[in-house]
Amino acid sequence: MAETARPGPMDAHGPEGGTRRDFLSLAATAVAGIGAACAVWPLITSMNPASDTLAAGAPIDIDISGIQPGQQIIVLWRSRPIFIVHRTPDQIATLKADKDAGQLRDPNSSADQQGAYAKNVYRSIKPELLVLVGICTHLGCVPEFTPQPGSISPNWPGGYFCPCHGSRYDLAGRVFQNVPAPYNLPVPPYHFVSDTVIRIGENPPDSTFDFNSIEQI
Amino acid sequence: MLKLTLAIIAALTLAAPALRAQEEATPPLPHQSWSFEGPFGTFDRAALQRGFQVYDQVCSNCHAMSLLSYHDLSGIGFGENEIKAIAAQKQVTDGPNDQGDMYQRPGRASDHFVAPFPNDQASRAAHNGALPPDLSVIVYAREGGADYVYDLLTGFSDPPPGFKLRENMNYDKYFPGHQIAMPPPLSDDIVTYSDGTKATVAQEAHDVVTFLAWAADPHQEDRKRTGAKVIIFLLVMTGILYAAKRKIWAEVH
Amino acid sequence: MAAPQSQSKVVEWIDHRLPIFTFMRHELHEYPTPKNLSYWWNFGSLAGIMLVIMILTGIFLAMEYTPNVDLAFDSVERIMRQVNYGWLIRYIHMNGASFFFIVTYIHIFRGLYYGSYKAPRELLWMLGVLILLTMMATAFMGYVLPWGQMSFWGATVITNLFSAIPVVGNDIVTWLWGGFAVANPTLNRFYALHYLLPFVILGIVGLHIMALHTHGSNNPLGIDRKGPQDSIPFHPYYTVKDAFGLGVFLIIFAVFVFYFPNLLGDPQNYIRANPLQTPPEIVPEWYFLPFYAMLRSVPDILFIKAKLAGVIAMFSSIFILFVLPWLDTSPVRSARFRPVYKWVFWLLVIDVLVLGYVGAHRPEGWYVFTGRVATLYYFIHFLVLIPLIGIFERPLPLPTSISAAVTKGGGKLAGAAARMEKP
Repeated sequence: MAETARPGPMDAHGPEGGTRRDFLSLAATAVAGIGAACAVWPLITSMNPASDTLAAGAPIDIDISGIQPGQQIIVLWRSRPIFIVHRTPDQIATLKADKDAGQLRDPNSSADQQGAYAKNVYRSIKPELLVLVGICTHLGCVPEFTPQPGSISPNWPGGYFCPCHGSRYDLAGRVFQNVPAPYNLPVPPYHFVSDTVIRIGENPPDSTFDFNSIEQI
Repeated sequence: MLKLTLAIIAALTLAAPALRAQEEATPPLPHQSWSFEGPFGTFDRAALQRGFQVYDQVCSNCHAMSLLSYHDLSGIGFGENEIKAIAAQKQVTDGPNDQGDMYQRPGRASDHFVAPFPNDQASRAAHNGALPPDLSVIVYAREGGADYVYDLLTGFSDPPPGFKLRENMNYDKYFPGHQIAMPPPLSDDIVTYSDGTKATVAQEAHDVVTFLAWAADPHQEDRKRTGAKVIIFLLVMTGILYAAKRKIWAEVH
Repeated sequence: MAAPQSQSKVVEWIDHRLPIFTFMRHELHEYPTPKNLSYWWNFGSLAGIMLVIMILTGIFLAMEYTPNVDLAFDSVERIMRQVNYGWLIRYIHMNGASFFFIVTYIHIFRGLYYGSYKAPRELLWMLGVLILLTMMATAFMGYVLPWGQMSFWGATVITNLFSAIPVVGNDIVTWLWGGFAVANPTLNRFYALHYLLPFVILGIVGLHIMALHTHGSNNPLGIDRKGPQDSIPFHPYYTVKDAFGLGVFLIIFAVFVFYFPNLLGDPQNYIRANPLQTPPEIVPEWYFLPFYAMLRSVPDILFIKAKLAGVIAMFSSIFILFVLPWLDTSPVRSARFRPVYKWVFWLLVIDVLVLGYVGAHRPEGWYVFTGRVATLYYFIHFLVLIPLIGIFERPLPLPTSISAAVTKGGGKLAGAAARMEKP
């Protein structure tokens, strides 16, 4: 490759020809660039959830009539474990006292981990039924259901214990202080379609809670 | 340039029809006019819904359509609640439950179309050894496409004199070999269309084939629309590039 | 591609440590290219771009595809129906294979016509044949992946060919299959290899371009560049010409992808693979048809059974291309100045098209005879005609130089002593 080519048109500088040529080159490059971006877009967006994935994430109806008082069942919604607990009257009665005992990081649920309809002392629509996303807000393990008072430690009021790094939550999913987890367990969108059936994944009709807006799943 | 174009056209013209050999002795397929054919074709939503009704009430008794899910039906104009209702009418096998058993539950939008039989063997057993094919892509899986399926559905007749029809077989003008295990599935008023259209065999066949053509390629309307935009963009871009090329090469020429 | 003094500091910093910018400027911007290249020279860059398109679409398809015999067909249909723009990515990939072969075949025939395979470009040509072989392997395995009827039966027929090899044939076939027939192990390994080979092609293309840049492109006149007056820098002349050619090509490609996406395919492949039922006709994709015709045309020859003879013929038809630079005895490169070879070249084109047509039909009736004649002609063309024509042909007088031929509109013709220069 000893020879070099003679000067090309890009090296010449002529006022009229140069400007027209530059404009055409600019236009050509711009249009080609737009074309390339439009061509790449379908590839990128193909990685977004597909229609069947989205459909599979639709709300599910769960019959809660079979859950005994004090029992928890776990169902899957959007590939995540959902805790559904039938709280006993005793457990409901101690919720307020526990909340105010000063050991919780976020006793009043001020962080956005639930819809407005679950921003109360029970963190649920009806006191006796608790619905939570069963993923520890620390690093994502599934906490163990430990409702028995005194089971983990002498003053344990009952709640959840995460075996991975020791985070603890009460029987409304509120996170304790001095544990790694930063937030209360999220409450998924849900509502009662009847007295015995809840629909997980859908808010009550008057709510506009967007589950994607919570702090931490 | 001319030689180039001719070469490409020659190659493709020879290649495309040469790919498929002639069918044995079936008459040429009468061509129907379909709303979805051609570069600007679209689907008649009403026909799609009627066609789904025909599939649902007639064909699905023997033919599965497992590649479709109920939520796909939004593509033929059903709303979310209609889809939920359609799905809920079907019983889907799910499980295992906590006892380890499989159980039946009403269908959901995310479920695939419920098949009439759990597997091919059960289907064969119910049909004298013949297997009704899955209809999800049948319009693409048959030479002649939509025309073929329509002609087959409307091509049942008595065999011509001297034709030996085997046991349990039916004579169809357009099926290769003329002997098909499927009895004529359509008859006048075998369904009652909810929109009041008269349900003749021709109408039912037309509607169900429209539905099947959609089912084989649900995005084809989108594809053709996008194609128009892409080609117009490319024509503009190529035009600009041609102008740039002529300008840049002006000195050399 | 700015002049050195206007380069930014960042560019200089990088270039001082890894001279990619200098390299790009040299290979792309300043690289001297014959100024008389016709549009037949666009097809190399088109092939390169098709390789990139196939790799990109292939990677995104691979994210959604499942290489298991029970799930493969459904996963492809899922891509078509559920994945955002999955239908587009799949149709581009599917038709892209055909268009990759179209541009590659035209690129090859360009080389045959203009003598681009002759010294000093023999290795460039051989690397190209290697690319073709790898493309064919890649396309063959790719077609198996959707696991339709043609996928399965095409795989069965072609892998069975290797049993024709004496002594070790059956063991090789079992080894290829990973079992007793084409089944899940076969599908899985074809998927792995189909993902791998395009990157091998990419590497060979790199060598191919390196070999090209050593002596530069051939040109329609087939005579060497003699000085700067014969060439122009690649950029902007051929960048813009290639871009324009790409635009035209993409329009044709888009017409197929968006309006006739299944025209080049086979309806049988929309039926799930059934090992118990052979389709009425087993036909490969169009780009394999000429080779398929050769495979089925060859009868028993002496002590070699037809099956083995067919396999030998099919593979020979490509291996013959490797040695073409030595088969062609003509000192003149371009067919423009070779009156006899010019016509014989078109005979080859027609022969390949006839072979393709024969390959699409059952080997019955006159197809058998035609296939045999066409196969015979193919080998006669390369083994007999090309060497002989080179020796006995009287070439037309060559122009003195490229610029002379181009600027004087016809060119000053030298005497009969004008010959191609050897390095």
